[in-house]
Amino acid sequence: MDTLEKAVDRVLNGDHSAFQQIVDATSVRLVRLGARIMGNQADAEDVVQEAYVKAFRALSAGEFDRRSSTATWLYRIVVNGAIDAKRSRKRRGEQSDTQIDPSWDGAAFAEARLALAELDDWLQELPQDQRAALVLQSLEGLNNGEIAEVMGVSEGAVEQRLVRARAALRQRRQQL
Amino acid sequence: MTDYEDIDQRLARLARGSEALRPSASFSARVMRAVNEEATPSLLEGAWFSARRLLPVAAIAAALAVIWAVQVDRSVDDEIATSYASVELE
Repeated sequence: MDTLEKAVDRVLNGDHSAFQQIVDATSVRLVRLGARIMGNQADAEDVVQEAYVKAFRALSAGEFDRRSSTATWLYRIVVNGAIDAKRSRKRRGEQSDTQIDPSWDGAAFAEARLALAELDDWLQELPQDQRAALVLQSLEGLNNGEIAEVMGVSEGAVEQRLVRARAALRQRRQQL
Repeated sequence: MTDYEDIDQRLARLARGSEALRPSASFSARVMRAVNEEATPSLLEGAWFSARRLLPVAAIAAALAVIWAVQVDRSVDDEIATSYASVELE
């Protein structure tokens, strides 16, 4: 059993301090995933923080049934949270929070911010479920089965979302 | 080069470009603060949680009190009936 699963065991047994290990082991991947779906770092951190609180609540209540791995389960909470946040933001006509953390200065981060801005601009017209599927496949490196597990849909539905997302991007490029 | 390859190449470049993304320095502490707030119940929640544990005991005590009250009431009735009978005999 790896460190992450051991930490989950400890939280399930009432050792709340072990949740720090879960955060340490997963926060880089989850914030990066959140940023790629949300389009910026600050919104991603809000979504991932909320996801951690939900995960903690579920672990404390003994509601995590371990049918999927902890990593997949956390991915699912973040993806669902990010899709919901993007949808409600769009409904309210709000702009993304583009405030940059001062500790975030540096050449590598500057390049990452540029890549994130380009990604957000390129994918912003896609429906949120198509965008999430595309990010999980092409940026996070998940296969269709893993994406289906994270998104809670069939592999056929994932395939359909990916085909539609690519078709929409191709059509948009032809219009430009 | 097909349109699909163009899209995948661009996605691959943006995946490499955004690989350096990291949570901000204060992120972990912020998360643990939120989690600890979740773990510590408020005064009202704590009182309700403690009170909930006492509910079965309180229910049993209430049932025993009702039984005792009914029994006392019956014995008082019996005593009154007995005293009436005594008065009639006299």
